[in-house]
Amino acid sequence: MEAFFATKLDEFAQGKLSRRGLLEALTVAATTAYAAAPANAAAAPDPALKVALCNHISYNCHDFRKGADWYSKVFNLDQVAPSKIDVALPFGKRGEKPFGVTANDVPLTHLIIRSRDLNAPAEGGAPRRKSRAIMEHIGYTVADFDREKAKADLKAMGVENVRDGGLYSLHMTDAYGYDVQISGVANNALTDGA
Amino acid sequence: MEKFVDRLIGEFESGQLGRREFCTTLATAAAVFASGLEANAAPAGKGFKMLGLNHLSYQCPDYTKARDFYASMFGMQVTNDKGKGRANLAFGPEPGKGGNFLVVHNPGANPPKPSEAVIDHIAYTISNYDEGKVRAALKARGYDNPTGRDGSRHVYDPFDYDVQFASAAQENAFRREGR
Repeated sequence: MEAFFATKLDEFAQGKLSRRGLLEALTVAATTAYAAAPANAAAAPDPALKVALCNHISYNCHDFRKGADWYSKVFNLDQVAPSKIDVALPFGKRGEKPFGVTANDVPLTHLIIRSRDLNAPAEGGAPRRKSRAIMEHIGYTVADFDREKAKADLKAMGVENVRDGGLYSLHMTDAYGYDVQISGVANNALTDGA
Repeated sequence: MEKFVDRLIGEFESGQLGRREFCTTLATAAAVFASGLEANAAPAGKGFKMLGLNHLSYQCPDYTKARDFYASMFGMQVTNDKGKGRANLAFGPEPGKGGNFLVVHNPGANPPKPSEAVIDHIAYTISNYDEGKVRAALKARGYDNPTGRDGSRHVYDPFDYDVQFASAAQENAFRREGR
């Protein structure tokens, strides 16, 4: 596929192909070539620390119930194993595998929404360090993403500050003003920021 | 797709995109286009059907340090690094087919609006987790005494952000029910 793109690009650069011709050739190739092709298996040796997927996102706020209810409402997430200070919201049902994952030892990603004192010592008793970095927003992938429909749905749910984000996504703020982004699979490591 | 290709050609023409990057991006977009056709159907009720995490947006004073740390420590793959203050780090399944990515970036011109909530750490799953091999790999990188417990460890990244990595046995939403 890439070789074909490169050939067409060369023809365009050499003046053998018009811009319109290039656009048509690439669009047709890109939208049809994978129609019947199975996905390539990317198999690289895994070192001991190679990450397989995000396990969880630890979200801390004043009232974890309020935070959790917002995510349950917007993303249809169940709340499991509540305690006095936190609750987990898995991205799927018990027994399901994460989207795109075949391994049996990679659990569903989940949010853990907490209300805890971040100035208290961490596990092990050592004081928590003050980070110079922040996770300033989180993007989630949703099924059948259609930006205009999603925008209307979010507004109907009372979600605040809904706005376009790049080519493929929407941003909004959650119950605590945290920036949340949603998109379909088109927003990914290769297209985002390309 | 045509709009997307048109934009790519424009970026190629203006020199914003190199030949190799152009071809790679378009090849990926084609694969994503195909996978999008088979995306799971959304539920009939209110709210969205969550397929999974898409990305984590991480802001720090020097994205190159974060990029190098996460790539070398956790085997994340660097993409879209144009030397302009940000890079993507892909991990998990293929991009567009369930893969996650971490966007590491320098502060932008517009600082994020203050939030009352904070993501205080991120945990990553390691498949085939082996405590002995994990400890050896950490020690080789200067982490002699990681906190946490067997099967679930914490370290700090170069900007003192708390990073956890764990096995499925130790960190699993449904396992928490037995606490």
